[in-house]
Amino acid sequence: MFDLILKNITQRKLRTGLTVFGIALGIFAVIVMGGMSEHFNLTFDRSISLTADKIRVLPEGGLFGASLNESKVRDVKRVPGVLDAYGVLQAPLDPENIAFFGGNVILGIPPEKQQLTMKDTGLSQGRFLTAGDNYRAVIGSSVAREFNLNAGDELEIKSKRVQRTASVTRARNFTVVGIMEYTGSFFDNSVLIPLSTAQRFYGRTGTVSFIFAVPDSSTDTEDLAKRIELNVERVTTFSPEELRRQIEQSLIIFSLITISAAVLAAIIGGLSVMNTMLMSVSERTKEFGLMKALGAETKDILFITVGEAALMGILGGIIGIIGGGAFVYYLNDYLASRGTVLFTITPRLIMIAIVFAILLGILSGTYPAYRAAKMSPMEALRYE
Amino acid sequence: MSEPVLRVRGLSKTYMQGKIPVHALTDVSFDVRKGELLSIVGPSGSGKSTLLSMIGLLDKPTGGSVFIDDTEVTEAKESDAPRLRREKIGFVFQHFNLIPTLSALENIDIAMRFARVPKNRRRERAIELLAQMGLAERINHRPSELSGGEQQRVAIARALANHPAIILADEPTGEVDTKTRDMIVGILKELSERGQTILVVTHDTAVSQQTGRIITMRDGRIESDEQIMG
Repeated sequence: MFDLILKNITQRKLRTGLTVFGIALGIFAVIVMGGMSEHFNLTFDRSISLTADKIRVLPEGGLFGASLNESKVRDVKRVPGVLDAYGVLQAPLDPENIAFFGGNVILGIPPEKQQLTMKDTGLSQGRFLTAGDNYRAVIGSSVAREFNLNAGDELEIKSKRVQRTASVTRARNFTVVGIMEYTGSFFDNSVLIPLSTAQRFYGRTGTVSFIFAVPDSSTDTEDLAKRIELNVERVTTFSPEELRRQIEQSLIIFSLITISAAVLAAIIGGLSVMNTMLMSVSERTKEFGLMKALGAETKDILFITVGEAALMGILGGIIGIIGGGAFVYYLNDYLASRGTVLFTITPRLIMIAIVFAILLGILSGTYPAYRAAKMSPMEALRYE
Repeated sequence: MSEPVLRVRGLSKTYMQGKIPVHALTDVSFDVRKGELLSIVGPSGSGKSTLLSMIGLLDKPTGGSVFIDDTEVTEAKESDAPRLRREKIGFVFQHFNLIPTLSALENIDIAMRFARVPKNRRRERAIELLAQMGLAERINHRPSELSGGEQQRVAIARALANHPAIILADEPTGEVDTKTRDMIVGILKELSERGQTILVVTHDTAVSQQTGRIITMRDGRIESDEQIMG
């Protein structure tokens, strides 16, 4: 029967082409929006896994961007179960153009805590920061690509300070001493500089943005996070589990928005298949009546009509995946040159897109197929 | 004398036209023996096509029974109807009813597909039937590339594909010129001589006069049933 199905859809080239195009557009949207959702999921997943062994200690209320007095680092270290603690100062690389997604950040960290922060992340060029480094930086792979930097090059970093009623922007060149390997996490968009240099450069001496607390191996991180909140005044903690929960919740909403838009586009594609199949069934009423007179079973007619719809779904799906993949590839390539990547196409996403395209084809072909299968052969043969 | 292939007993069909019953067929009974070529004639609305639909399981009667090869087809369940149509009946229509997107060979093949005949046997049989109809050179032509007579011959070949007990032909010469008509009647006669039972509904006396038996219908009843001496 497959050759019959193939024949039927190739005989009506324009109509099949338009329908397949409709599905392809829907699946294109699934790939692009889904690719964006997958990228953020993976980035956060990798980022969290890099810092999964540490508790984040933030100013009370859990506000990123506010400051903590550096003396809190000592207070955190004193909490039983804390093996080590150190402060990190975070600031945007370009304070005049803060990006919502994928913006580059400066992380001021004590040089000796660098590898502890980055875990087993290696360097593709140069070296890590060492004690005594001043205006030196180790940069992430995306930053290196965006600014076309190699070890030994200079990177201009800006700081913006409010003085009375005006804001003053200072710029200073930092020497790149090392470039990190690609991690697929937000560290790719980070610039590591010594904490003391960062505090001076940003005029935030004696403060940090957050503290990383390293628990000893026998301590339960959730319990320790609670103990830090109880023992250190005016701080909020996020255990790795809590951070993961919070991020996952925000990602679910983001994923729902992106996937809903894609699904909506795909459903519109599905309606075009249904419309085509209804027209096709209506045009071929006599043909189906004849098939029944020749002894076709209901399942034969269903197989032919649903098969046509499913095949159009598969074709649309393949074209949508190829089109979406190519679009994402070129857009990622362009975005990477500007220091950010927005999409990741995973095997899971491709599987979802294919299954979705086939289901879309089958579901939108079912009603027309049912109509065709239920036709009385006599009425169908009389149909003009 | 051979056993009847087709037995029609007290067949009736009543339609409701709004609240008014219309008796399309009333108490129709007759037998058709193997190899008989029989024509059913009568004016429009006399019930000929309705009778053919009942025998062909395309419609359900309101009374009476139809037996084909001793199987009471009118008692068959809805789910058995496709199998009975495949095994017992071959249809030939006035408008040929070939599938326009398929070639002559594929139009015959499709009838055997529904009967789950293996592919190589389907092709063999379709080629054999097309050769028998004098269309050996036209197997890959689509209906739009064939003349009316050629299309009707493909339709006859399709009706024969599954070795049916009876061929039901509804005005098979209604769309063709007189020369083609005579050729189609010749084919039907030849098939009947070889043992194929054929029932032809026709308006055309030139066709009915060439069959061995004529049943004349009027107002849903059999008016006459006469054998023609050849």
